[in-house]
Amino acid sequence: MISKDEIEYLAKISKISLTEDEAKKFPEQLDKTIEYIDILDELASDHSIILDLQEIKFDELRDDVVRMSGALPITRNLTEEGFLKGPKMK
Amino acid sequence: MSQVKIGLEIHAQITELESKLFCSCRGNYRDQRPNTNICETCCGLPGTLPIINKKAIEYSAMTSVALGCSVPDKIIFYRKNYFYPDLPKNFQITQYNVYGFSSIGIGGSFELDDSRKIRISRIQLEEDPGRIAYLEGGTNARNSALIDYNRAGVALIEIVTEPDFTNPKEVRLFLNKLSLTLEHLAVCDTLLEGSVRCDVNVSMNGGNKVEIKNINSFKEVERAINYEITRQTNMYKRSIKIVSETRHWDDRKKITFMSRSKEAEHDYRYFPEPDIPMIVLGDKFIANIRNHMPELPNQRFDRFVSGYKLSEHASNILINDKKLADFFESILKLYFSPVEIANFLITDFKSMILDDAESTGYLKNMKVKPEHIAELVKMIAADEISRITAKDILVKIFESGMLPSEIVNDSNSLKIADEKILMDAVESVFNTEKSAVEDARTNHEAINFLLGKVMKYTSGRADPKIAMRLINNKLKKPNA
Amino acid sequence: MSGLHDLQAYEVVEGIKQGLFSAEEYFSSVIKTLEHVESRLHSFITLDTDKALSCAKVIDGKLKANEDIGQLGGVVVGIKDNISTKGIRTTCASKILESYVPSYDATVIQRLKQNGAIILGKLNLDEFGMGSTTEYSSYYPTHNPWNLDYVPGGSSGGSGAAVAAGECTVSLGSDTGGSIRCPASFCSVVGLKPTYGRVSRYGLISYANSLEQIGPICRSVKDVVMIMNIISGKDNKDDTSMSSSPITINNKLEKFEIAIIKDLIDGSDDEVKRTIYSASEKFSDIGCMLDEISIKHLNYALPSYYTLASAEASSNLARYDNIRYGFNLPIEEYKWDTYFSDVRKNFGEEVKRRILIGSYVLSSGYYSKYYLKARGLRSLLKLELLKLFKKYDLLIGPTMPILPFKFGEKIDDPIKMYLVDINTVIANLAGIPAISLPVGFSNGLPIGLQIMAAPFEEQKLIDVSYALEQAINIQRRPKLE
Repeated sequence: MISKDEIEYLAKISKISLTEDEAKKFPEQLDKTIEYIDILDELASDHSIILDLQEIKFDELRDDVVRMSGALPITRNLTEEGFLKGPKMK
Repeated sequence: MSQVKIGLEIHAQITELESKLFCSCRGNYRDQRPNTNICETCCGLPGTLPIINKKAIEYSAMTSVALGCSVPDKIIFYRKNYFYPDLPKNFQITQYNVYGFSSIGIGGSFELDDSRKIRISRIQLEEDPGRIAYLEGGTNARNSALIDYNRAGVALIEIVTEPDFTNPKEVRLFLNKLSLTLEHLAVCDTLLEGSVRCDVNVSMNGGNKVEIKNINSFKEVERAINYEITRQTNMYKRSIKIVSETRHWDDRKKITFMSRSKEAEHDYRYFPEPDIPMIVLGDKFIANIRNHMPELPNQRFDRFVSGYKLSEHASNILINDKKLADFFESILKLYFSPVEIANFLITDFKSMILDDAESTGYLKNMKVKPEHIAELVKMIAADEISRITAKDILVKIFESGMLPSEIVNDSNSLKIADEKILMDAVESVFNTEKSAVEDARTNHEAINFLLGKVMKYTSGRADPKIAMRLINNKLKKPNA
Repeated sequence: MSGLHDLQAYEVVEGIKQGLFSAEEYFSSVIKTLEHVESRLHSFITLDTDKALSCAKVIDGKLKANEDIGQLGGVVVGIKDNISTKGIRTTCASKILESYVPSYDATVIQRLKQNGAIILGKLNLDEFGMGSTTEYSSYYPTHNPWNLDYVPGGSSGGSGAAVAAGECTVSLGSDTGGSIRCPASFCSVVGLKPTYGRVSRYGLISYANSLEQIGPICRSVKDVVMIMNIISGKDNKDDTSMSSSPITINNKLEKFEIAIIKDLIDGSDDEVKRTIYSASEKFSDIGCMLDEISIKHLNYALPSYYTLASAEASSNLARYDNIRYGFNLPIEEYKWDTYFSDVRKNFGEEVKRRILIGSYVLSSGYYSKYYLKARGLRSLLKLELLKLFKKYDLLIGPTMPILPFKFGEKIDDPIKMYLVDINTVIANLAGIPAISLPVGFSNGLPIGLQIMAAPFEEQKLIDVSYALEQAINIQRRPKLE
């Protein structure tokens, strides 16, 4: 059973504040989901852990060349000096 | 004496790269208006994907080889998940060693001196975050952080050591040698502001490990460790338990302080980066890297001592300043006289640039070029000018960039060997220094005094050998 | 009502080129249909009608000047709203991206535009692609054009409904666990999820990167081929993309060995079962051999899918902190971490659930219990399927185990909702291509057949789908008058 504390912890590391309604119904819903995926634990750890990964050859990688379009992707919340304004840190 | 264990995590930017690690923005983000060296990818815009820089893998593999690490056949990247406003995606693409996969370098060692080796646990390639500027006292600093993503995505090499250091001096020695190695590999210009950073962990008497983050130059590392050892020693004396924690180095107050913010939640939830396939390096890759390794500082030292017959002392001075050593070798191409050139560089030349030596690019931006020094040392060797004159000429080269021969012609600064001119000088001195002349007939010391006066009379240009002969001759004559 | 908006894309291009009608005439016919049905369907989130109209005029101008109008010259295309379109708001059906206007085009969009396609607007979906009904859209649900009380499937529900209803001629969707095939099945259109890597993901706003692909939703197999050949190919902006050879429409069919996945039939509703069996009889008619198999690792597929998809999602969605782009929320009164948490409150419930589950399965202590096991299962499943593909050319079954259902039927029970994806996630886990083809109706509700092939064997999917399309005679268009 996933505890309220655990959900709070997950919400904290995920930077999500939950609404009252969510805080009420999530424990049961998430618990069901975890119960559902618990079947994975039946798989043996030894042979099943193959991370079947796509491969790319070194030669196919990007060459070290500068290419800049000139169009700037950030346009909002900029100061006169060009800094992007964010919330305060302290 | 308490037992101290120190380990390091060093971040070095690959400053030699043209572009960033995962996009084609400039690798050199310095001196640009904030948020202009950015694109969709390094700003983490929705839907963008990292495209890894081939050259970054080569540089990090070279570094791994230089630090004695093995380089695996295949490498993969991981995501390190944490939130921070300087991190455009709120995760960092880095490497991680689990489940049979490894980062670009593992299990190396680095020689501190003949008797000590520091083990390197791993080397990994990762992206730099952006930067947050804090405006001091400004009115707009009150409510917001000022973020600049120009640096976001620049390639970093992270070097992690085992906790093998036992005192701060060893750490300093290591960092010096490491800087030198990185420069010889042409991976990182360690003199650039912010190009190298260091995290340190310190534990005493087998106790808990304290991590110190945020040390932004190698020079501060020793200081931070000393502070931390003193702090822990005091706590130990007062029987206060040392807890495992992360502290930050305050660059201005020169103290470490407890940090509460991001590292408090260090559940980084690593998992393989799905947007970058496993990179197959292959046998040829590593053979290629090994065959094309630049000369490392130790190898260069050996070559200077045995090939150029330089003293170990001179070799060390040159090699500890890679730019100077490079300068030295380019002079040799024009005029092969290693010992003389080395001596000239490490005495006369180095004393002149000493004030400037900390600033980067000092040899690049100077008017003094290898051909200047080649010609100058050649003139000394041919006895055309004295060393004193050579130094004067050097000052003029620094100012004007003119060749020594031009300066000599210009100012007539060649050594005066003309006996007629010198005789005039000697006679003039004999006329004004009558008592010294009397002394000199019996006291040898006084002869040197007269020579000094002749040199002064000729502004140092008199050939001392000829002048001395003329003085002696004149002293032998009665009624001089 | 039959008109120019009813035409297939290949017919539209032919018609314009031959001067049977102008791009503008065809465009107007599509817009007229849209105006007629959109208030009932809600397929679109954003329309770019004015710009699209001027593009249609450009096509007519080019034709007059004897210039090439491109392989898709004039064809009206709708784009799922999780694909980046330069200058057109791209929301992922999320409040978080309410006012986000991308500064760049996805590679697929570039390729469509280069070939003369006209981008009409952005289509509804479940927020960030997480869902199977469009009920999780933060704006409004899309309705099924075959019966407005029913869901259109998801997450590319807007893409399925719009094409079925003639609001656009073809659309792009994305498929992470069935998000193209589910609405294709529920809306009685053709939807293809390509082999992983065949189509560039650059500009597809990630939900679960290792599983998803962009693909076409069309009213005919021929159109699917046409779109696929334009959007496929290696892209230097996506290192997971690969080159592939073009696919074609062949009129002669090879004798394929086909296997029905028995487990998927057994798990389906009776009406679905019946229709799939009767459709599969057609395979012998078109000369294919039919066998029955089961998949050993099937039980683990869905848990594995939800583990991996949530894990990747929890990380992909971390970037939405509203600093660089997003909606308007002043920063002044906040400290950064409270700001982040407050901003991210605006994700919908389902997205939040998956982020939390994703953080859970990756957090220290659970990584090897869930994430790693899920990766292991994924490998085993892929190996099992590749082995099957050594014996069989194609594996078939129902796309969805159930008929389209009514709004609200499953929304309160996440697990119930997840279970409808059981048939489709297999292809995403294994990275293989899969197509959903309309094969029948039950009580006026569409049923789709899913066909899967080995990696990069899209040609086989197309060959058999084209033959089947000819052999099966069903109603092609919903009545929405």
